[in-house]
Amino acid sequence: MESFVQSVVSGVLTGSLYAMIAVGLTIVFGVMRIINLAHGDMVMLGMFGAYWSYTLWGIDPFLSVGIWAPLMFAGGMLVQRFLLKEVIPKGELNTLLYTAGLSLLIANLALFFWTGDYRTLNLDYAVMPARPFGISVPIPLAIAFFMAIAITTALYLLLSRTDVGRAMRATAQNPQSAALMGVDVQRIDMITFGLGTALAAAAGVLLVPSLYLYPTVGEILIVKCFVIVVLGGLGSVPGAIAGGVLLGLVESLGAVYVSVAYKDTIGFVLFLLVLLFRPAGLFGVGKS
Amino acid sequence: MTRLLAAAGLLLLASAPLLTGNPFFQHLMIMVLFWTLLGASWNLLGGFAGQVSFGHAVFLGIGAYVTMLSYLSLGVSPFLGMLAGGIVGAMFAVPIGLICFRLRGPYFSLATLAVAEIVRLVALNWEQLTAGPMGLLITHLPPVSFAGATIDWESKVPFYYLAVILAVSAMALTFAVSRSRLGAYLTAVREDIDSAEAVGIDTVRTRVVALALSAFVVGLAGGFYALYFRYVDPDAVFAISLSVEMVFIAVVGGLATTAGPIVGAVVLVSIGEIFRDRFQAGHLIFYGLFMMLVIRYLPEGIWGGLQRLFRDRG
Repeated sequence: MESFVQSVVSGVLTGSLYAMIAVGLTIVFGVMRIINLAHGDMVMLGMFGAYWSYTLWGIDPFLSVGIWAPLMFAGGMLVQRFLLKEVIPKGELNTLLYTAGLSLLIANLALFFWTGDYRTLNLDYAVMPARPFGISVPIPLAIAFFMAIAITTALYLLLSRTDVGRAMRATAQNPQSAALMGVDVQRIDMITFGLGTALAAAAGVLLVPSLYLYPTVGEILIVKCFVIVVLGGLGSVPGAIAGGVLLGLVESLGAVYVSVAYKDTIGFVLFLLVLLFRPAGLFGVGKS
Repeated sequence: MTRLLAAAGLLLLASAPLLTGNPFFQHLMIMVLFWTLLGASWNLLGGFAGQVSFGHAVFLGIGAYVTMLSYLSLGVSPFLGMLAGGIVGAMFAVPIGLICFRLRGPYFSLATLAVAEIVRLVALNWEQLTAGPMGLLITHLPPVSFAGATIDWESKVPFYYLAVILAVSAMALTFAVSRSRLGAYLTAVREDIDSAEAVGIDTVRTRVVALALSAFVVGLAGGFYALYFRYVDPDAVFAISLSVEMVFIAVVGGLATTAGPIVGAVVLVSIGEIFRDRFQAGHLIFYGLFMMLVIRYLPEGIWGGLQRLFRDRG
């Protein structure tokens, strides 16, 4: 029983960060209809940003979110404006291949400059886990969990309550009609891609104290992200959140009750099954 | 013109080892041919049928492991092992195809990615069969006699000729397919899958046949990999990056062309290997860069662009 509660807790904690990355991927897909294979590399850039700002200037990663998220927001807007904009009209597959190229470029530039070594960032207050009710909770993961909830809620409010959010949702439903109603679709595309990138990078910053970082970490993260987004339904924000938590739970419970070695495999099998039998996602909210 | 070019190319390929004994250059040429082989076989499905697979490393890994295991534990001759690798790869392709071809476009690509990851994780954890992350090693390849001559595997030259034969056959295969009924079906699937079905093409069967053909050749390439490097482990032969590199070579060279993969391999592999020789990490920078440039400015690939240039001139 105790190990069950323990794995549920750690599954939800990790899942919340997965969810945050997946929300970024899903809004970009929803609004711009592109599957961004470079999304995992944006997480990686966030991780390295936090790592360097901690090692060079001693800024705590949970504070440096405030630097890296806005910077990556601007970076994402520039990528959309100068790299993706011309390619999107060439079709879904060409865009997929283009982002695959972007992903390889970013990951290998990182490999070139920072080498492939595995690095860790050790915080002073992160050595001992907190033990509420006898359950072990790693402190950095707990802080990251609450910050991820705050950031995701803020995004949700942005999407549901503000004019920009309404314009984004309108563009997701139908770009032509949105443009006819006076929405500047170009600007919305830039903002959406910026937001997606910022979410990925912020999640990377929050994950740094809990994960190893290395330049090709994005590869495994993006694959997990696809699992989540397909589970929840491509393009759906609540679906991505639910899918993220679900994958976190499946992984941590699978590690305890099935096998540690095959915990990642369970997620992929689930992914294939959902793709085949419920392409709109488990919750039936996504557009396939 | 094309025929002349092909003849000149073959002559150059046949005589190249006589021109230089530099081992780095020999290795470079072997790698270019190896990637031509992979690019050409990926092109069968990805280029002609427009089905972008991000999971072709599955078949490479299967071919490599079948060759390795049949030699190490059963003592089967490596050549028969290579052939077996291709056949087993094609056998795996059928169920994978039947599952993944229910999906279209980018969804198909994502499904192949998931299949590849599942296979990699199984290979990593099924230690009785694959020795897991430790990998398998061939310490000694016995020399064989062929047409009266003894072939010494310690030298790179026999591998070079083996690679030439494989790569040229793969290109001949893509040429034959492009002229065949299967090729026409595949093009129809790429251009408009619904119309293809409407005129009575069994699109699932067509794509499964193309995948199996492609997997057979990639399986052979896997066997070649095992013999040339004499070491395989799951992260070396089942890596996502291998699948992605095949895609890049085919796309940068020119989708659905016979000569595209060799052009893509010559450009990307030589830049990549020279870069790797000088700096340790990051040799795929140029793969990403060329991919982005080609998609944006030259969607028909380098070879396709050159062809257009000649057509416009002449």
